[in-house]
Amino acid sequence: MLVMGEVHTGLLQNSGEIPESTCRDVLQLLSGERVRVSRRPIVYAVSPDLLTGVDCRLPSASQSRIRGAGTVLSRSSITGGRVVQGSSYTRIERSGSDRRQPWSHYLARPGVVEVLGKVKSRDLADGFAEDPPADGLDLGAISARFLDVVQSSPLLDRRAPFKIARTRLRWVAEQGEPAIRFTLHSEQMRTVRLIHAGEFTPAVADLCEDLALHDWLLTALLVIIERARIGGTPGPEAAVKLAPAVDHLLHLWMPSARVDDVLSAYWESLDRRPGFTRQWQSLVDRVRDQLAVHTLAFLREKSGGGAR
Amino acid sequence: MTSVNATFGEVAAERRIASAPLSHVSIELGHLYMEDFEAGPERLREQFRRVAPWAGTVRSSWQDRVPGGRARVSTCFLIDDYFSRFSTPAELVPMVLEAAADCDLTIDYIARESACAVSDGVELARLVEDRLVNDPPPDTNGSRPPVKESGWLCNGARSPQVGTVQAMGKANRWAPPLQNAKRGHSIFVDVELWDENGGKRTWSCPFLAAVWQLLRLGLLRTDGRLPLRPVMREDAFPDDWESLPAVMQLNPAAAPFSAYTTLSVLSPRFLPVELAVRTILSQVAVDGDVLRQVVARSGGEGIRLEEELVDRISYVFA
Repeated sequence: MLVMGEVHTGLLQNSGEIPESTCRDVLQLLSGERVRVSRRPIVYAVSPDLLTGVDCRLPSASQSRIRGAGTVLSRSSITGGRVVQGSSYTRIERSGSDRRQPWSHYLARPGVVEVLGKVKSRDLADGFAEDPPADGLDLGAISARFLDVVQSSPLLDRRAPFKIARTRLRWVAEQGEPAIRFTLHSEQMRTVRLIHAGEFTPAVADLCEDLALHDWLLTALLVIIERARIGGTPGPEAAVKLAPAVDHLLHLWMPSARVDDVLSAYWESLDRRPGFTRQWQSLVDRVRDQLAVHTLAFLREKSGGGAR
Repeated sequence: MTSVNATFGEVAAERRIASAPLSHVSIELGHLYMEDFEAGPERLREQFRRVAPWAGTVRSSWQDRVPGGRARVSTCFLIDDYFSRFSTPAELVPMVLEAAADCDLTIDYIARESACAVSDGVELARLVEDRLVNDPPPDTNGSRPPVKESGWLCNGARSPQVGTVQAMGKANRWAPPLQNAKRGHSIFVDVELWDENGGKRTWSCPFLAAVWQLLRLGLLRTDGRLPLRPVMREDAFPDDWESLPAVMQLNPAAAPFSAYTTLSVLSPRFLPVELAVRTILSQVAVDGDVLRQVVARSGGEGIRLEEELVDRISYVFA
């Protein structure tokens, strides 16, 4: 019927980026299950999928009381040894019955929440994308825990190079004529409404995680540039404030790196408008230009000082 | 320029799941405890005599179900070497085999109960414990981590603790526990999974029995591999239990140990244990890829398996 998810993205609480082997240890959340790692074009490590059981109210734009029961699928991941994500999603499906089934019924459908009773897909999707009820399905809290479990690992030194808020990206995917809408809500909140042609596959969740990662990178870079107050502070000071971007962020931009070919068109269309990569490139240029200007000024000062 | 189709793979990024050889049904002919052993071979023969007709019925019903009557049926026998150690394999195994043969039963595989806790360095019981996804009571929306009572697992919501004082100084009154998917009235079950004494954990009998069922259903994997493979018997049986393989194949012509379904023929005194086993198994999340693998395999043979794994397990209490 539809799929709901939420991705939380943040800066790993460690002074430097962590190597692949540490990523494996940090993400080892389930015994007897390997952490999957891909190294090209960027090191990406992901924990095994874990399930959380829920039986609660589902979001509804019309404020109807809709009950669903089943499991939410979640995982933690680390990209480039630097950015951490907690991601959860669940497929909402109609149930054959109005009754709550024995739990074994739901565990035979991992990652599915079944609606007890009647429901309209659009009503659920709108409700989730807008403002889900406080007592309703809380994918955000589940994703936050999957991010926390990584951040609280004893293998991390908890000395992040700069402070930056987590971002949350809530997404809903439905089947139909392909389309995507990305909306910025507040400083931290984003929503994605996605319509895919065929059956839902986990690749859609991968795409949303990739969008969340890059949106966070863009947000983080904007914040760093804003804090540097270019033009408003003396050059050297601004340069020092821009340095973390160079050290920790600039090399991480790899849009669509892990996105299925079938879905890469979504990235491409978002890259045309609003143009994530365009904005990223212009910010990167700005950081580099600032550093170049500062370096030139520094050299001039040095050589000028020497001549005098 | 022509376009080139490039594929790139990374082994560490892929998930590989071994598949288990599977029979149609695995029949457990018995479960031997020390008290049975102490009662002597006659007790065993009595048990096998009770079991034989049921085993025959299940075998022939699968023969009717499978095209050409080629049903793959394997039999197994479990010996408790976990809760109490008694005798030696060299003495005990031949006695069991002989008693079975007297009743025209063939035991294909013999297993040690302690293998359900740890086998070849793999802590199977931990593996299963880590895969428990608790049955959520109504209004569980994910905002808080699941309530877990360390070492216990139930099928609903426990009674609030009587005598504790809530905010505003009102003492909690007793309220009944509730079963989650109750039909009219609750049958609330709370199972002890393990206890610890001096830092040493002892798994409960139902928990090990749940692991045993999962092994027989071929649903466990560790790092994608099968955690346990039966070892063919040697001429002589060892003098200590540790030297006996976790699962030993006694009959060279036997059908595979694991199966789509299981049947256990048990004395009614095991009924509470098996209720506990079902309560546990109803909350074990088997890997989605493994579930799909088994469904595809059985579907390829024209067999429709029950979706829920607890429904693939059947019992005869006789």
